[in-house]
Amino acid sequence: MRTLEKLSRRLFLERGFWATTLIFWSWFRGSSNAEELHTYKGTDFIGKTREGEYENFYINFWKPMRRINGQTWRLKITGLCDAPQSFTLEQFKSFTATTQSSRMKCVECWSARTQWSGFSINELEKLVRPQPEAKGVLFHCGDKYKEYLSREALNQDRVLLAHSMNGQPLSDAHGFPLRLIAPSKYGYKNPKAILEMEYVSEHQYGTWSKIGPYSPDGTILPGTDHPLEFNKEPRRISGGEITDY
Amino acid sequence: MGDNNDPYATPQHTIHLDSYSIDLFEVTNEEFAKQLPQHSFWKGAGPHPVTDITWLEAQSYCLKVGKRLPTEMEWEKAARGGDARLYPWGNKRPRKKAHSFYSGLIKRRIGLNKKDISPYGVRDMAGSVWEWTASEVEGKKITRGGLWNFHLEYEFSKTFDRNLVPSSSKFPFLGFRCAR
Repeated sequence: MRTLEKLSRRLFLERGFWATTLIFWSWFRGSSNAEELHTYKGTDFIGKTREGEYENFYINFWKPMRRINGQTWRLKITGLCDAPQSFTLEQFKSFTATTQSSRMKCVECWSARTQWSGFSINELEKLVRPQPEAKGVLFHCGDKYKEYLSREALNQDRVLLAHSMNGQPLSDAHGFPLRLIAPSKYGYKNPKAILEMEYVSEHQYGTWSKIGPYSPDGTILPGTDHPLEFNKEPRRISGGEITDY
Repeated sequence: MGDNNDPYATPQHTIHLDSYSIDLFEVTNEEFAKQLPQHSFWKGAGPHPVTDITWLEAQSYCLKVGKRLPTEMEWEKAARGGDARLYPWGNKRPRKKAHSFYSGLIKRRIGLNKKDISPYGVRDMAGSVWEWTASEVEGKKITRGGLWNFHLEYEFSKTFDRNLVPSSSKFPFLGFRCAR
């Protein structure tokens, strides 16, 4: 409990810092619109929001982050692979594309369904060639978030590295330029705004699993879901990917 | 069987079953590995309920030891007794939350919770892990049970709660026990 209290204080200070930064940024840009401050519209930043278009698909970030420039962004593949390298967004367009509808289930109880397009991690691994001792991948994200998934979990059917949503490039809020979609896992195991994928030999704790009560595995458990597009009306779920609605 | 207030288990009705036997405990990692040596588990997890196994693997284990998976009727009867109780121990909701605010699953040695005991002495039917049954609906297998977990609004599993799961699925929250 003592640790959690300390972390809460730290989080409070960090968020206070970012809030102050945003206020000054908005002022610097000549904006005095309070709504813009809260929704990050009109700023160079993106962060947690549930307003406007995001009422039906909540947005969570670990920390507010500066929007990523797709022209200069590179996905770095590092760690235990024979051919570590960087990829541009353009390069991913030549990968075999998959489109799927899947529901994002957040550990906070809500969920939302949408259509994602991207490619299987197998496409990437053909090029970077992970070494046999590489057991999993540590994702490093633009909002300083880190998450780990085993290679076994990443190579499951319906796990995608997604660059598009509903036929359009991912929005900043949904994790532009690249995010992971693992439909049988809670949302916190679906890192977004990925900057680097590091192949590692041992299990690592992700940001939330390290500091809070989030299971390292993150498999969706049997229980009750509150889908946003159905006015949060409770629905029974049997665990794993939600396929019934 | 069932419950009139639960849309997933309605209607409540009475059934009569022929006599049968059901294991007092869920199958553990150690027991499972004795029959299927390729099964691996974390050090110290030997007495924990075996999970991450398909329905076919569960059934295969039961057959190897001369048993079978219980039907959902048998499972519910073993958990609920003859008085339609809500929980294996009675109708009183547990006061203490086992692992409140934790999003995941905490596995423990089978039979550790002395209160989670049915009228027939069967253990861990409300907590521990969900369990495969032999019964099927709409092409999916019926699972019964509950977890040591109270994440947010997730309620402690009642004796009539049921889920439908594709038989090829493997989950860290899903194990089994045998019957005959």
